[in-house]
Amino acid sequence: MNLPKIDISALPDLGTVTGVFGSLAHTAHVQSSDDTIIIMMVFVYDFIIGH
Amino acid sequence: MIIRPELQALRSDDTPQRHAQAELHRLVTQWRSSGGGAGIEQALASFARGTPLAKLQPLARLFVPGHSAGLKLAHDMVDRFAAVLAASPWGQVPLPGKLDDVTATIVLAAASNTALVLQATDGAALRRRPPALTVSFSPGETHDHVLAGNAEARLIELRGETEHGADLTATCFALRPGQVFRRDGARQSLLIDAAPTTLVTLKLQRRPATGSVTREFCLAEGTLAHQAAGNARESRFELAAALLGRMGRRDAAPLLGAMAEEQGGASLRWQALRECLGLDTAEGFAVLSRMAGRAGDPLAAPAAALQTQLLQCYPQLAGAASCPA
Repeated sequence: MNLPKIDISALPDLGTVTGVFGSLAHTAHVQSSDDTIIIMMVFVYDFIIGH
Repeated sequence: MIIRPELQALRSDDTPQRHAQAELHRLVTQWRSSGGGAGIEQALASFARGTPLAKLQPLARLFVPGHSAGLKLAHDMVDRFAAVLAASPWGQVPLPGKLDDVTATIVLAAASNTALVLQATDGAALRRRPPALTVSFSPGETHDHVLAGNAEARLIELRGETEHGADLTATCFALRPGQVFRRDGARQSLLIDAAPTTLVTLKLQRRPATGSVTREFCLAEGTLAHQAAGNARESRFELAAALLGRMGRRDAAPLLGAMAEEQGGASLRWQALRECLGLDTAEGFAVLSRMAGRAGDPLAAPAAALQTQLLQCYPQLAGAASCPA
């Protein structure tokens, strides 16, 4: 069957776009107790030191 | 450029630096094997697999209100490091750490998706920082044990969401040494507003392995400011899917189709579906059709809408959905 080639730029995204892991809108104002920072730290350290 | 004599000396002979590092590594190894950290990593690994905290004594005793075990663990670790660093200030503690103008954070132990963390918040620096504009909710379970210092804090709770934004409530309370509290990160976030001196907390964190999303809301209006993948694995796969698409790797279409149908974050699954459709129309449309018809799949509605849109643009796809790929 001769099917069309679909251009993915014409395909919709979901209603709310999800940023990559660790991205924040207001990094400068992130509170010190923010749990996200700890999650990121564990990952970044593993990435740099572990590999 | 000013180079201090101590650093200058290390350029020609780094022996003191190497000795300090070796000593710090030895301390960590000893702490893990027979010191205060003995059994902690094993307990963390079990905690990561879903074992309730109460059944893991090496960890559970650190989070009993008023119990001295948490403070003792922190003292044991910090005192050992401080003694070496006093003699060799250029040594680097071989544990994950982060220092900014307000907080000093050190990961004492980590296993899989769990971490045991010691954090100090400098009250004087906190006063200089502008007030928080947003609050973020990261799915996962966090236990906080206040070891030293006092603070004024707010527990921000995400009560629900409407099309206009989140319903956020704030409860002010005081943090005092010996307090322990557990938070559900998906709907509870802790903001430290003020601390007269330094606040030291021991934190235990367990986050979901897949599919979670961290969301950041404006404190004033409750509007969603940003959302991000809650774990690195999903972002890594999403980037890989995009790369395979840009490379025109048609042979990867079945893999991308399988990713789109697996359990996982909606964003990763949707991007895998888009790339699959771009690489192999028949394969992608078959995946899309199955997804659209799967009751209970959070992507069923957008998949059905996209299926309708594509069928309108390309009526010949109606045959592809019923044909084996």
